[in-house]
Amino acid sequence: MALFSAFQTTFLLALLSLKTYQSEVLSEPLSLAPESLEVSIDSARQCLHLQWSVHNLAYHQELKMVFQIEISRIKTSNVIWVENYSTTVKRNQVLRWSWESKLPLECAKHSVRMRGAVDDAQVPELRFWSNWTSWEEVDVQSSLGHDPLFVFPKDKLVEEGSNVTICYVSRSHQNNISCYLEGVRMHGEQLDPNVCVFHLKNVPFIRETGTNIYCKADRGDVIKGIVLFVSIFEETKDFSCETRDLKTLNCTWAPGSDAGLLTQLSQSYTLFESFSGKKTLCKHKSWCNWQVPPDSQEMYNFTLTAENYLRKRSVHLLFNLTHRVHPMAPFNVFVKNVSATNATMTWKVHSVGNYSTLLCQIELYGEGKVIQKQNVSVKVNGKHLMKKLEPSTEYAAQVRCANANHFWKWSEWTRRNFTTAEAAPSEAPDVWRNVKSVQGHCVVTLFWKPLSKLQANGKILFYNVVLENLDRPSTLKLLSIPAPANGTELTLDQCSYQIRVTANNSVGTSPASVIAVSGDPGNKEVEEERVRGTEDGFCLSWKPQPGDVTGYVVEWCERPGDPLCDLQWKNLGPDTTSTVVSSDAFRPGVRYNFRIYGISTERIPYLLEKKTGYSQELVPSDNPQVLMSNLTSYSFTLSWKDYAAESQPGFVRGYSLYLKSKAARCLPGSEKAVLSDDSICCKYKIDNPKQKTFVVENLQPASFYEFFLTPYTSVGEGPQGAFTKVTTPDEYSHILIRVILPMIFSILLIMILCYLKSQWMKEKCYPDIPDPYKSSVLSLIKSKENPRLTIMNVKDCIPDAIEVINKQEGTRKSLTETEPTKPTYLYLLPTEKSHSGPGPCICFENFTYNQAASDSASCGHVPVTPKAQPQLGLLTSSENGPKALGKNYVNSLGEIPAGETNLNYVSQLASPMCGDKSSLPTNPPEPALCSEYKTQMAIPMGLASPPSITLLDEGEHDH
Amino acid sequence: SDLRFSLTAPLCLLTLLLLPLSLGAPISPAEPISQAYSLALYMQKNTSTLLQTYLQYQGSPFSDPGFSAPELQLSSLPPAAVSFKTWHALDDGERLGHAQGAFLALTQHLQLVGDDQRDLNPGSPILLAQLGAARLRAQGLLGNMAAIMTALGLPIPPEEDTLGVVAFGASAFERKCRGYVVTREYGHWTDRAVRDLALLKAKYPG
Repeated sequence: MALFSAFQTTFLLALLSLKTYQSEVLSEPLSLAPESLEVSIDSARQCLHLQWSVHNLAYHQELKMVFQIEISRIKTSNVIWVENYSTTVKRNQVLRWSWESKLPLECAKHSVRMRGAVDDAQVPELRFWSNWTSWEEVDVQSSLGHDPLFVFPKDKLVEEGSNVTICYVSRSHQNNISCYLEGVRMHGEQLDPNVCVFHLKNVPFIRETGTNIYCKADRGDVIKGIVLFVSIFEETKDFSCETRDLKTLNCTWAPGSDAGLLTQLSQSYTLFESFSGKKTLCKHKSWCNWQVPPDSQEMYNFTLTAENYLRKRSVHLLFNLTHRVHPMAPFNVFVKNVSATNATMTWKVHSVGNYSTLLCQIELYGEGKVIQKQNVSVKVNGKHLMKKLEPSTEYAAQVRCANANHFWKWSEWTRRNFTTAEAAPSEAPDVWRNVKSVQGHCVVTLFWKPLSKLQANGKILFYNVVLENLDRPSTLKLLSIPAPANGTELTLDQCSYQIRVTANNSVGTSPASVIAVSGDPGNKEVEEERVRGTEDGFCLSWKPQPGDVTGYVVEWCERPGDPLCDLQWKNLGPDTTSTVVSSDAFRPGVRYNFRIYGISTERIPYLLEKKTGYSQELVPSDNPQVLMSNLTSYSFTLSWKDYAAESQPGFVRGYSLYLKSKAARCLPGSEKAVLSDDSICCKYKIDNPKQKTFVVENLQPASFYEFFLTPYTSVGEGPQGAFTKVTTPDEYSHILIRVILPMIFSILLIMILCYLKSQWMKEKCYPDIPDPYKSSVLSLIKSKENPRLTIMNVKDCIPDAIEVINKQEGTRKSLTETEPTKPTYLYLLPTEKSHSGPGPCICFENFTYNQAASDSASCGHVPVTPKAQPQLGLLTSSENGPKALGKNYVNSLGEIPAGETNLNYVSQLASPMCGDKSSLPTNPPEPALCSEYKTQMAIPMGLASPPSITLLDEGEHDH
Repeated sequence: SDLRFSLTAPLCLLTLLLLPLSLGAPISPAEPISQAYSLALYMQKNTSTLLQTYLQYQGSPFSDPGFSAPELQLSSLPPAAVSFKTWHALDDGERLGHAQGAFLALTQHLQLVGDDQRDLNPGSPILLAQLGAARLRAQGLLGNMAAIMTALGLPIPPEEDTLGVVAFGASAFERKCRGYVVTREYGHWTDRAVRDLALLKAKYPG
């Protein structure tokens, strides 16, 4: 439909111009005004597209015209843009012009008008402005819809750092609208009551997925926003082209970042060559291939254009093809004719055009390092001889090439490994010997050091040992010892031989090492000297030998004490008189012995000097076992003869003896020392290490001492050990012993004698005292049947005590009464308080009758034994009768327990209980016993069987 | 685990979809209700994660803590919010019909949001996987609901194009908003479906 109307318009215009053409000849020329102005909008690009035409042009006429275009915003008076657009106008041509607005077109109403003028020299009379067209109004807002809020522009894509204008259009007048960029509030200017504009300057790149800008109303919670896509488009860097085969050019570059552009908008690369006018679209982001035409174009001028949605960027490169040759790596590389010292390397190169020469570089690597470097010019085939190589060594050779005339880049390396051939060993092995005499034979142990890689020139297969008897020079003996032996043992009938040792590999034999052994082993007695080792080793020196000496050898064991010993030696020249022996094997506290030999012109070694020392001395490892002897009151002797001072980890310089005593002062020859436990003692210093006895003198007799002996080296003393305790004997003790021992012996003798003669002694000293109870008199009495007759016993009488039994008539009461009857005692002499009660009777001391009684025990109460108690059954069963009373009562009755000798003298006075018959009906005769006067009998001591009758015995019998 | 699920989920859902079909019309609706209920419960566990992941990728204000814009709605997507009285008064046909319609719309919208995010956030496979998984689950639930409706003898509403043609002209910000509404409503509808199915489960015990 539109097409049809346009066609119609054109047709009408054509008719009109025909008319004009006719009138032109006749009348005044008409002004050429732009007509049919149409304005359209491209919202996405914020563009106004204008199109118009000039109707009054003559047929086939072509005029230069200028159009003045005015754009106003909001109202027509507010012109924001004036531009003159010059162009050539044809009849019926539709003219187009576009204008990009900074402000999104939705934000405000725009109006456009224009006028035209002929700007052509052909028709100078028409050079005046036509009339303005009428204002063409562009109002997008009216077609937006009814949403309360809009934000523009939508989904805009800008470059980082550019300026962007944003606006919102609000439909509601009441609402306050606030807008935010990534959560930060923006401040804008009010374009009209409904539109607010925000100018963002220098927009940053935040993320590839765009920057959110949103607006929201205070009320209604309306959120509207846009996403601003910010892109970073950097310039392409490092654009470079080269060829490897003169057929293809490979161009590479480092693409600039194009962050912020989504995949469909990312940049593309185009390569354009201006001489050929060819163009290619690159498939890759960082490189592109260009086919070199067969017509041998030499010069190239490339333009690489990177383009994205927003803009283009270009880089240029002009070069000669032959100057950009990066040759291929050499091929057919071989290492040929490899001998022990030489090898030849050959290779081929890819040709780089006609008549071109390549420069090739050869590097030879040995043990990872470049040892030779050489440059060679090559057309097609390369060849290089490598000299001065080491035999039997691994090498690596590599070659690379570049254009010799116009150097651009080296090719890659091509590398080959090879190993040179073997050669005969170059050096004689370093040989040493050890000579021993075993059962008349000479045992020679040969040692040699393996040749270094450089000396061996290949793999050593065996060692040849040639023995030549010096006494019979014609006899030779050959021994072949396979590698990797480093020595051999030879048993020789006698010790006068010259020995030659050679090392052999697959190619040949080394020079011989000559050593001779003579009949005299040369181990003459030489004074051993001490040397002091340092961290760097042992510095050994010796006296130069006056005679002809071809050299010196220093010999030592790295592992002394070990049977294998690990013998080491060091060859030194004839002018040398000192050397430093160092080894990682040297350990502190180990004693190393060094022997220095001179080598005679006959190659016979003879011992010159012996040295011994420690690389580092240590304190003694153990203390001696000390024996003590000759202990007297004033001294004792210590000895430690078994102590192995030689095996200590340092030279023992002497001994320290510590002595502890109670004496505050130290004895002469000693000084005070403080031990590690802060105890103070006296210290004797024994400076002579060979002294192994010591006498400690000037001690105090009968005193306690403690001693401790330890050796010391230059570093210090041995370990702290336990002190040995010793006590000096008393000065007189030995005299005392001399007296006391015989005395004890004689006493013992007497005692034995006494024991043996005990019967005799007993008879003499303490004969048996006859017992009256066992006397035969007793049976005599019994036979007379007089039970009342007793034997007077002297023991139980209390001398000088009178017992008065005072019986008060008025207080006589029954036993059941609470007030007991108490007997009254009167003591003539105070009796012991332990006597719980008075004696049963009144005893009169009567020396006339009883002499023995005075010596015997007191005549006291005898406690009532349980055996006697059943006799008192009635009394104890009585409830009211106190026991004490009962006891007293019983005792007073003279109820004497069994087995005790009792009452032998009873006074005639009546017992208090005697009258209390009523209460003791069971024992009526006993009160009468006391009250009765007995005939006193005097019984002499010696009487064998005095007559005696006891109540108690009766009681026992009754019982 | 989301990625792993995205692999296993189609298989699971396929079996859930095929199960009622292969068995034909079941005698009791209890089994499809139970299956649908289990699926809805499972979906419910992941809806908030989906919404949070979605918002996190959209930038401010969506990724701001506590973002919520309840007034944002889509005319093409029925809102899940309904008064309790109305909801409770629904008969089985209406209840299932509403859910059926909503999940049909959600399935299509989730497809749209997935496509939008493939454009807007091409470098976020986690989000894309979660959106894809949600769409498959919504489809699975649709199948289960159809099985329930068949079991109950209810007519199954025909599938409709809920999106129409207007959806494609949206700006990036509008698409972000649209995705927000869809993921949000997906959660609301899943919550509602759990309630719906719980009610039906109680009504038709197995």
